Amino acid sequence: MSQMETALRQAAVMTFEELGFLFTTPELNEQQRNAPVDAAVSVAFNGPLRGHLMVQVSGDWLPTLAANMLGEDEPPPPGLQHDALREIANVICGNVLPAITGSREVFYLSPPQIVEDTTQNGKPPTAAAHIGLEGGRADVLLFLDESS
Amino acid sequence: MALNVLVVDDSAIMRRMIIKTLRLSGLPLGEIYEAGNGQEGLQILHDHWIDLALVDINMPVMNGEEMINQVRANPETADLPIAVVSTESSEMRIEMLQQKGVEFVHKPFTPESLSQTIVKMTGVNHEPDGDSASPSGGYDF
Repeated sequence: MSQMETALRQAAVMTFEELGFLFTTPELNEQQRNAPVDAAVSVAFNGPLRGHLMVQVSGDWLPTLAANMLGEDEPPPPGLQHDALREIANVICGNVLPAITGSREVFYLSPPQIVEDTTQNGKPPTAAAHIGLEGGRADVLLFLDESS
Repeated sequence: MALNVLVVDDSAIMRRMIIKTLRLSGLPLGEIYEAGNGQEGLQILHDHWIDLALVDINMPVMNGEEMINQVRANPETADLPIAVVSTESSEMRIEMLQQKGVEFVHKPFTPESLSQTIVKMTGVNHEPDGDSASPSGGYDF
């Protein structure tokens, strides 16, 4: 695993566990691997590195995440569930970039956006972390622009 | 003294988390106002008396840094206690914000870190609700 992927995994695990109160697993079982994508969100950034971070969630745990974040038993409406995912992506992105470049660097993050097309025109991510969460998974994908 | 608090964050769920933390902290709260960006936050500051503002940095329309600059430039709001609640991790940018006279709370935060920061800023004592904190310290936000 590259240093970038290690930083990505650490930022993602910390965020899901501390902000979302979800247990994570480093290895994916068959159910987690095969779970279809429910939603995806992307955060664009610029600074010493430019690109975007995408978080794809699979396995229907988004309602649990949102309820956990609010400390409530019942999941909130879908709008707030997507908002929870946007905030998760924002926190992962805000924490991983300085972990890669050093904490003196300044990055500017755009507001996270829900994305429908997750294919990225076939472009592979620069770094990826696949994290097991309950019956599903989160794919945390870092795409750096070629000029970065 | 009941504190009127302004929470500025483009994430509705984060605003709710912050407000819930404030309510659980036992701090004496008056009115709590919400804004989704810096521009809305400035309008609320213009219309209402606010004792404390909790402000995110990365927001659409007007970001938190620009809002803080305008708050500090206005004699009526220049001394407003402000805590930045953000994912910002750049030491340089955090130092720049602190030079504007703001406290900084990093996301994800714990209720304890947020309420301790507010007590430090306002000097207002608090008594947490009996059922609001687990022995281990309760929620991490």
